[in-house]
Amino acid sequence: MCHRSVGLVQGAIERAGIPTAALTLRPEITIHMNVSRAAYVRFPLGNPFGEPHRPGQHRLVLEDLFTLLETATGPNTLIELPYRWKRWGKWL
Amino acid sequence: MALDHEILDEKYRSWLSRIASTHHGANHRVNDEAGFARLSAPLERTTVALVTTAGAHVRGQQPFTVDDVAGDPTFRPIPGDVETADLRFSHTHYDTSSAETDPNVVFPIDRLRESAAAGRIGDVSSMHIGMMGFNPDPTEIADVTAGRVASILAEAGAGAVLLAPG
Repeated sequence: MCHRSVGLVQGAIERAGIPTAALTLRPEITIHMNVSRAAYVRFPLGNPFGEPHRPGQHRLVLEDLFTLLETATGPNTLIELPYRWKRWGKWL
Repeated sequence: MALDHEILDEKYRSWLSRIASTHHGANHRVNDEAGFARLSAPLERTTVALVTTAGAHVRGQQPFTVDDVAGDPTFRPIPGDVETADLRFSHTHYDTSSAETDPNVVFPIDRLRESAAAGRIGDVSSMHIGMMGFNPDPTEIADVTAGRVASILAEAGAGAVLLAPG
């Protein structure tokens, strides 16, 4: 439901004239929310920007969102980021 | 690997039916209109704000209600100069342990400050927003909270907003 809440707020911000880009861990929800720009990353819930205390990883994800803001050409743009989670064990 | 939309549609229908069957008063909303605003200046001159539904708030603010089956549709304004160590997380529908040890995993305020210092963005917004995304009935989020959040960020001068779930 976090993803639905993100989508609804994202829509309101866009309609107020401010461009947005969101991360999603649940693309099945995001693609149905009708939003401007989203990036799917295969990380576990609670870690959309990556693992704790890995600033380099956070920076990569953040830069991808910046790029998405700069390059998307229309609404419902969904890209997939190439990163993979190293420690899925406890989340499976 | 390209996303398989048939699989995503099936997962979406399954999620909707799970919410409807397990949460009293469950409802659903999506955006009638996506909206598509464009940057009014290069990012290097744009003030950027963050929104997270990961239950983020500042120490001393009222925590989100996490023991109500109806959720909590309110939001918390998070000042741009918040001490990262003062961020707290109230949410019982995802594992908050990563965010508690490093808030940047859901609310990358330190990374955003670095981006401003490096000149990649113009500035860090004076205001950001924390919400708690668990809301089986999203009506108030859609009809009240979302618009208020947009107004606050507009008043703060945000020229772009990045959002992340919990």
